[in-house]
Amino acid sequence: MATQAQMATRPTSDAVVEQKLQKLRELYADAPEVGKVALRNGMADIAREFAALTGATGVQRAGRVGARQGKVSELTALLQIAKGGAKRLRGLLELVEGNFRGADVVGTLHDMRFVFLENDTKLLFATAYDGEWDAYIDDFVTKIPTSMDIFFCNLEGWPGIRHPNVKDWLVKHQITADAWYVANPNLTVAETRRLEKVGAAVEEFLDTIA
Amino acid sequence: MATQTQVATEPTNAAVVEQKLQKLRELYADAPEVGKAALQNGLPMLTKELAAPSAAQTAGRIGARQGKVSELTVFLPFVKGGAKRLRGFLQLLEGNFRAADAVGTVHDMRFVFVDNDTKLLFATAYDGDFDPYIADFAAKIPNAMDLWLCNFEGYPGMRNPSAAADWIASHQIAAEAWYVNSPNLTATETRRLEGVGTAVDQLLDKIG
Repeated sequence: MATQAQMATRPTSDAVVEQKLQKLRELYADAPEVGKVALRNGMADIAREFAALTGATGVQRAGRVGARQGKVSELTALLQIAKGGAKRLRGLLELVEGNFRGADVVGTLHDMRFVFLENDTKLLFATAYDGEWDAYIDDFVTKIPTSMDIFFCNLEGWPGIRHPNVKDWLVKHQITADAWYVANPNLTVAETRRLEKVGAAVEEFLDTIA
Repeated sequence: MATQTQVATEPTNAAVVEQKLQKLRELYADAPEVGKAALQNGLPMLTKELAAPSAAQTAGRIGARQGKVSELTVFLPFVKGGAKRLRGFLQLLEGNFRAADAVGTVHDMRFVFVDNDTKLLFATAYDGDFDPYIADFAAKIPNAMDLWLCNFEGYPGMRNPSAAADWIASHQIAAEAWYVNSPNLTATETRRLEGVGTAVDQLLDKIG
């Protein structure tokens, strides 16, 4: 939860760590041999990992659906492809060759993948983005409605980006991650871009005074 | 392809863009109405996208890459009891992956339980190529890898790094398309820049 991050910052107590280790031993009692061995060898590391838990991060929510860590959220959707949709979508993606100007325009997208599954009957669509789910989707609706329709019209039941049920359609196909890790959870896309410029400016500055 | 981005730096000429647009019109001739209308309205942005040099690269053996950042997407079949163990383990970790911090090449990663807990979708964004990335995990955090991957069918163990890499590759599905907002920044570089940003702010505060 968002508020927990501000509250709890103390490391986990020894008793809690021991409780967690005990739980883990129980979970792994019937694990394959390689897992049991790894648990034995890795006990000290895991104890440290548990001890370092402060409640400061934890799995947070991105609002209606999805996990969040710090400022960065995940969206993972498994979508049915409409008849003829796979050919169209693949053709479109091949022609675009990784140039997603629309995503740059939206400005809250860290990364995005399109993965064709099960003989082209399904699409895995997964992104890492900034902030809360509803605001994120609103951004797409207002900034690049046309691109959204060009891509998503190839999916079964796509109501169209201007349809009032478009969010419900997305939610229905989204699966929240059980765990979500972000290496730099405090940086939004905009902040990362700004830092890239700051870094270049600092280097130029240092060169000048050297 | 990796080499194309270095070669094709001149803007694609108008004839090639027109050819691509024509191809797209043909592809969308039988699209749902909403798609046809969108194609019509979206021509200005599409024209720009189609004129840009290819940004699609590969991460070596398998997976897509854009600039310095690659994607790995696998669907792994759980062994009996594996889903319960992994879920329990992840809950105990409370979303903290210091092991991933230690490796240092992971941008993000998600664990998604699918198909009634019979499979895990594991998807990451990481730096560089597939084989060095997996080798890095095998060298730096073999125990942590064994702890979570032991929950899947056929996992050979990280003590056998080349077999483990083959096993992962065999379950991997390369993304058809992959977008990265800041493709020139590794996870480490981004961390360094965060530090630079803080230092600059402090400096400006002092002289302000």
